[in-house]
Formats: sequence, C-alpha cells, structure tokens
Amino acid sequence: MHNPLRPALPLRLVDAPPAPSSTTPQAIIRVEDLSIVFDVPRGQVIAVDRVSLAVMPGEFVSLVGPSGCGKSTLLNAMAGLEQPFEGLVTVAGESMLGPRPDVGMVFQQPHLFPWKSVRRNIAHGPRALGKSKAEALRIADDLIEMIGLTKFANAYPHTLSGGMQQRVAIARALANQPRVLLMDEPFGALDAQTRAVMQDNLLELRGRINATIVFVTHDIDEAILLSDRVLIMSAGPGRILRDLSVGLPRPRSSAILTDPAYLALKRDCLDLIRSEGRKAFEQMETVA
Amino acid sequence: MSVGRRSRANAAGRLSVLVGVLSVPTFVGVWELIARSRIVNAVLFPPPSTVAVAVLDWIHSGQFFGDLSASLFRVTAGFLIGATGGIVLGVLTGEFRLVSSLLSPLFHILRPIPPIAFVPIVILWFGLSEAGKLFLVVWGVFFTVWLATHIGVQKVDRGLIRAALMLGTPRRQMLSEIVLLGALPYIVVGLRTAVSISFYTLVAAELAGAFAGIVYRIEIAQQNMQTGQVMGGLAALGLLSFVADRSFAAIAERAVWWR
Ligand SMILES: Nc1ncnc2c1ncn2[C@@H]1O[C@H](COP(=O)(O)OP(=O)(O)OP(=O)(O)O)[C@@H](O)[C@H]1O
Ligand SMILES: [Mg+2]
Repeated sequence: MHNPLRPALPLRLVDAPPAPSSTTPQAIIRVEDLSIVFDVPRGQVIAVDRVSLAVMPGEFVSLVGPSGCGKSTLLNAMAGLEQPFEGLVTVAGESMLGPRPDVGMVFQQPHLFPWKSVRRNIAHGPRALGKSKAEALRIADDLIEMIGLTKFANAYPHTLSGGMQQRVAIARALANQPRVLLMDEPFGALDAQTRAVMQDNLLELRGRINATIVFVTHDIDEAILLSDRVLIMSAGPGRILRDLSVGLPRPRSSAILTDPAYLALKRDCLDLIRSEGRKAFEQMETVA
Repeated sequence: MSVGRRSRANAAGRLSVLVGVLSVPTFVGVWELIARSRIVNAVLFPPPSTVAVAVLDWIHSGQFFGDLSASLFRVTAGFLIGATGGIVLGVLTGEFRLVSSLLSPLFHILRPIPPIAFVPIVILWFGLSEAGKLFLVVWGVFFTVWLATHIGVQKVDRGLIRAALMLGTPRRQMLSEIVLLGALPYIVVGLRTAVSISFYTLVAAELAGAFAGIVYRIEIAQQNMQTGQVMGGLAALGLLSFVADRSFAAIAERAVWWR
C-alpha cells in the first residue's frame, strides 16, 4: 500500500477508484475469471490464473510484470489467438473465438511479409477483408504518410531499420481500423533512442485514431508515459496484482520522463511492485 | 607500402584469371598429345580432334537434334510434373497433420530408394515407352521437391502466420500466399537439387532402352566401339546439365524476389 512516510505528494498514481470491473456494461474488453493452461511434456503450466479485467472504449491500458508472468498469453487471449481454459474473453460484447478484424495486434517483432513492399504490407489487411485493390492502396498510402515513411512506400521490409519496420507493423494493424489494438512489447526490441521516438509517435498517433489500446511492456516508464491505467501482474502463475490509474495530463511526451513529479510517481510505482513482489515471495516461502 | 601490397594482389588476381582461361585448353592439349603419342590405345582413348569430328558428324547426320530434343523433353516434362506434384503435396503434408500422417511415412520409405533401382520394374510396367522414362524422372524429382517443401512449410515463421491471421487473411490465401511464399526459399533449394537429379534419372531411363536421346546415342556408340562418339555424347550431356543448372540458379535468384 502507500508509504505513510511519503504523503500522496504529487501522487496522481492511485488505485483506480471506479476501476471498471468485468461486469461494467460499457466496457469494450471484458475478461472474466480467465485461466489459460498449457500442456507441456511434464504436465501443465498455468500461464494465466483467474484474471478479471475490463477496458473502457478509448482507454490506453498497460500490462506490466516480470518475464513469463503471462502477459503475452493474456493478450493473445484478447486477440483470439489463445482460447480460455476457463472463463471468458469478450470484445465489443462478443466472445473471442478466434482472430477478428476489429481486433488488431502488433507483436514484439514486426513480422512483416518479407515478399511485400511497405505499401502492400499495409494494404494486406484491407485486401484480405475484400476491399478493392485501389481502395486498399489508398488506405495504405494515408497510413504511410501518417507514419512518415512516404519515401519508403515501395521498399521491402529488410531494407528498413527495426524502428521503421515496427512503424509499418503498427500501420498494417491500423489499416483494418480495429476497435481494439493490442501491442505486445512493440518497442522491446528497439534501442533506447529509437524507443523514445516511437513512444512519442504512438502518443501522437493515438490522438488521431480512436482505438482502445492494450499495451504490454516490461518498462515501467513506458507504461506510465503512455497509459491511462497500468495493470501490474505477479510472477507466474499470472494474476493481476494492482490496477493503477495514471492521472498525468495529456498531451504527454517523453519529455515528462525527467519531470520531478513524474519521478516521484515512478518511485511509488516501483515501491508497489517491490512490496508486492516481496509479499508474493514470502507467500511462496510460507507455502513451502 | 599498402599500394605495393595492392598492386601485388592485383598481379596475383590477373595471374589467376590467366590460368583460369588457359585451364581447359591446356587440358585438351595435353590430352591430344598423350592420345597421339601412342602411350595409350587411341581406339579407347581418342584424341579431342577425333571427338570433335565425331560430334560434327553427329550434328550433320541430323541425329543430334533428335537426340537432344528427346532428352530435353524427358528432363523438362519430368521435372515440371515431379516438381509440381512435390510442391502441392509438400504444402499439404506440411500444413495438415492428417495428410502428413497418411503420406509422410510412405514417402519416407520410398524416398531413399535410388530411382535407378526402379528401372527393372518400370520396364515391366511401361516397356520401353516414353511414359516409363518420364516416370523415372518424375519419381526422382518428386521426392526431393516434396521433402524440401514439406520442411519449408513447417519452418514458415509462426509470427507471419499469426500476423496474417490477425489481419483476417482467409484460409485459402493463407496457403497460397503466406505458407507458399514463406516456404519458397526452401522450395527453391529443393528445385535446384532436383535439376541434377533429373539428369541422373534421365541417364538411367535412357540406358534402360530408348529409341533416341543423348545417353541412348552414347550407349549405341559404345556398342559400335565409337569411343569418340561416346566422349562427344558425354561432353554434350555435361554441357546440357551445366547450362540447366546455371539457368536454374539465375531463375532461383529472381524467384525469391524480395531478397
Ligand atoms: N505455447 C506455449 N506452450 C507452453 N507453455 C507456454 C506457451 N506459451 C507460454 N507458455 C508459458 O506460459 C507462461 C507465460 O508465458 P507468456 O509468454 O505469456 O509470458 P510473458 O509475460 O509474455 O513473458 P515475457 O515478458 O518474457 O514476454 C510461461 O511460463 C511460458 O513458459
Ligand atoms: Mg511476452
């Protein structure tokens, strides 16, 4: 809980008071008592353990937690790429039985089609959904302009830098105009400088699209900078420990990362993670 | 000093180019000298000049183009049929567990048997017909291309498949575009190996009995002790498969166009 010695100074990071629960009717994403289990050679692994959460339309929510805690698995369930062992995942009121074009995904690796130019990679989704070639290319060209890669429209992915490739991957996911955009450590493979630029790009981009975003990251700075809410997950089996809302004013940019108010905020957040981590560790010891 | 080193490197480069250009003529010259020196039996080991005369006769008699087109047809048709079958079945076994369980064990048993070992049974089944020769070439090409495609399909980046799924790619496009192009680099390697295999099997097919063809001509010449003609045939076969391999390499480079 909050450190009593450090009064809630500029603490705009608080337990989300009216945190939408999985029964909130207007929520666009609803996860109810979701468990996901994988069969492995030596039995089963519980990757996600009875998680419930809700995301409101237009919200930007980050999932943070240690490696292997089930962030990707939870995100994949929202994408329809993993099916629940128990529980329910709905987007816009409908169960995620498989991938759906109104839910887009950006992975840690860009996974661009190497045989397609930037333009055609972005046009892939609209084409797959039955749009005419001209229409699909028009959509692609608009997005290429938005991500600032007009000069590279006809380049093949392997000729682009990692950051440029990831921008194309984001544009490709946006081409189907998804209501929900899921991002799994999209900047995790980039160097610090490029990552900062990409974060600013994403903040700016977000002003222009009205997708709900769920964003997985290891990086607490990134989570606070980008999100309206940060969900902190425990080490495996994956559960959500805390649901924190970030009250920093928008528009934001990576410049706030050196702001003293922000630093205080981050310190509190890290304290929370540490104490929760210690608690989990002590629990493990008492069980053992 | 570095200039000196560079000019020495240049000199070495020029020398190796010169040696490269002279390599074949020197070999032919030495061969001519040895064959004419009567150290060896000139009937069994004719000089290149005799081989050249035999090849010219072959061309003038009009048989050469008949033989060439017969062999080319067998190799090309057999390659195309075998490669198409191999790619289609490779995609199916690579992508569908059930098809793989059905066919892969069978293919893995049949694949290691050298195609040449099928000559006797092919003669029983097809006699000396063209179909039997095609069968042998198709057989040899098919398994190589099938295996390469099967492996290629299984190695397609799962991330690409997931990305395509998230974008709403229909099942059919998934197979015909994402899986097929994802496996293409492997398939191309398989096809290139299959080019030389198609020539091996051509040799077996024509030796088994034919009425025209380059290898057939070599065999006839052997029976008539026309050693020059035999060597001319070998040279023609070597040249043909060399050209086929090089043209395929050039095509392959363009096939994976995004690299
Ligand atoms: N396909 C799978 N088969 C078996 N186990 C899996 C599979 N996918 C994930 N797991 C297991 O589930 C747990 C959660 O994995 P997940 O990839 O969701 O973690 P993560 O939080 O995304 O980790 P990271 O931050 O390293 O990406 C891990 O213990 C992992 O080993
Ligand atoms: Mg992950």
